[in-house]
Amino acid sequence: MSYELNVAHLYGDLMNTYGDVGNILALNYYAKQMDVSLNVKVVSLEEDFKSADYDLAFFGGGQDFEQTIVSQDIQTKKAELTKFIESDGPLLAICGGFQLLGHYYIGADGEKLPGIGALDHYTLAQDHNRFIGNIVIKNQETGETYHGFENHQGLTYLGKDERPLGNVVSGKGNNGEDGTEGAIYKNVYCSYFHGPILTRNGDIAKHLLVAALQRKYPDADFSQQEALPIPATF
Amino acid sequence: MSFRSGVATFAGKSSYWFLHTFLHGGSSLPGKITLKLDPNILRTLGAKYDVIVITGTNGKTLTTALTVSVLHEKYPSILTNPTGSNMEQGIVTTFLNAKNPKTGRPLAVLEVDEANVIKVTQYIEPKAFVFTNIFRDQMDRYGEIYTTYQKILDGVALAPNATIIANGDSPIFHSKELPNPIEYYGFDDQPDTDMKAKPNTDGVLCPNCEHILHYHSLTYSNQGKYFCPNCGFSRPELTYRLTKLGEQTPTSSKFEIDGHPFKIQVGGTYNIYNALAAYAVGRFMGVTPIQISNAFNANQQVFGRQEVIDVDGKRVTIILVKNPVGLDQVLHMIGTDTHPFSLVGLLNANYADGIDTSWIWDGDFEQLADRDIPTVITGGERYKDITFRLKVAGIPDDRHIVEPNLEKVVDEIKKVSTDRVYVLATYTAMLQMRKILADKGYVKEGLGL
Repeated sequence: MSYELNVAHLYGDLMNTYGDVGNILALNYYAKQMDVSLNVKVVSLEEDFKSADYDLAFFGGGQDFEQTIVSQDIQTKKAELTKFIESDGPLLAICGGFQLLGHYYIGADGEKLPGIGALDHYTLAQDHNRFIGNIVIKNQETGETYHGFENHQGLTYLGKDERPLGNVVSGKGNNGEDGTEGAIYKNVYCSYFHGPILTRNGDIAKHLLVAALQRKYPDADFSQQEALPIPATF
Repeated sequence: MSFRSGVATFAGKSSYWFLHTFLHGGSSLPGKITLKLDPNILRTLGAKYDVIVITGTNGKTLTTALTVSVLHEKYPSILTNPTGSNMEQGIVTTFLNAKNPKTGRPLAVLEVDEANVIKVTQYIEPKAFVFTNIFRDQMDRYGEIYTTYQKILDGVALAPNATIIANGDSPIFHSKELPNPIEYYGFDDQPDTDMKAKPNTDGVLCPNCEHILHYHSLTYSNQGKYFCPNCGFSRPELTYRLTKLGEQTPTSSKFEIDGHPFKIQVGGTYNIYNALAAYAVGRFMGVTPIQISNAFNANQQVFGRQEVIDVDGKRVTIILVKNPVGLDQVLHMIGTDTHPFSLVGLLNANYADGIDTSWIWDGDFEQLADRDIPTVITGGERYKDITFRLKVAGIPDDRHIVEPNLEKVVDEIKKVSTDRVYVLATYTAMLQMRKILADKGYVKEGLGL
């Protein structure tokens, strides 16, 4: 392979519910077709995340208990994660990962738990209800349609610097009220989508990989990678 | 028996007789009728029995069947519930159907759904509980493993004298202090090393100090000889030890427990755990290792889940897959086949299958990539998901047939180059496949579980 990307799988051993590892597998699958090899490393409790060490990051969703633990530990990585995000590092965050990049979320027992506030959203909780089911959204800028499966109690409200990943065509989305689903900020993509998201929406995998390549190899020409056709898988 | 219980029992028994005789059914409705008339009926019905409750995510059915076989070596009269009747109504029906034993105090070995343990212990104090394992399950999507275990413990709290016989390799069963006597079983056949579970494993946090658990040895998922390098929390002393793991094939397993050799006519490490649980209950109830070995040899029909169907000379094995840990184990099991085989994956996403198909990505299909499988067929209502899963796992397009229609899948199976074919199917896909095979005369009607 001509290119190489270092990928941080944030808390991959704790935030791994609902097939999240499929996103890593899908990244690998498309990376190979783009002449890119990935070195994936799980970065977990009490391990350092150094912004300069990674070209791409993935942060999945977890069970309530695990997410509580991660909410504490991630504070030690807050500065470096924020640095990574602000320097246009590409990052995909799903469900609990999405919530933890924001200001706070409400845990299973009703307590307010901190995120790292790198993104400007916050998350409340529904009372004894979850949004569960298939969901379709459309990204207004690219015109791309994304398919997924949502399963969340959290109600997330985006901040002013964030755009949604898409507008809800069918399903509930971030909060069931404002028609938004997920978030985009710089090169960070957030969503509640399981499925997993990259296995059904290869276009997002391509955006992440191309962004990482352009950032790491600013003088190279990636027009071929950008032109990689992504056949529908769903 | 009180007048009310008497009326309720009579009504239930009559309805069972009616349903059974005229409608060939009746597994939960009689229980429902009886419960309406007397909500406390289990107290009356269960009082005569020594009850053993078997619960957990995977392996309840086979562990229950094996335990019954093992206990039959010593106890003549054992009541048990049929597959799928593991909720309150089904359990009441089971007791209603029982014939009055002529002598002695009979045993009841009951498979009980995790959330229904409390509905049994409200009325009956069991002699023992068996905890098989707790994994994330499709049917219980928003139940996390900790919530599921708490549901079981809520039931156990009403029976503090009952002995718990638990899978010692599962850290969650060592996470709470309980007043009950506890005996653990587990694998103890490997030399100690130091490793972690693979990243997409549930339940790897130390219950004591919330650091990541390490393992001296691992069987699968988060099960093994765990220890916490931070606080010293570790696997409890085992009462029943798997001391040697012998040859494993898709249809048989050899192993030793506490030095005694056993063979079961079913593959899969998860089934060795089931046998280990049945052994533990047997020993707890005074059955000898030789009697247990006889029971394992004699009762091969209990392994019916892996029925082999002859389809025009092809040896077709249909295996139900329903959650990531189960799927992973099935993939490992068919990987032990030394003969070439073809693979069929059938995915549906109806309620009984789990409506979210994400879990197929937690199954390690990648382990099949170097098996050089000549033909892979994917189908079912969600064939696109399973097709892409296998594509990503490295199955080349020229060996991969995509066929949503199950009738045509059967035609494709007849054309494969191997004699052996493994069909991995979710619940409703398996029912549809069996119906088609029954219509074509390859299997008799019925579920065959």
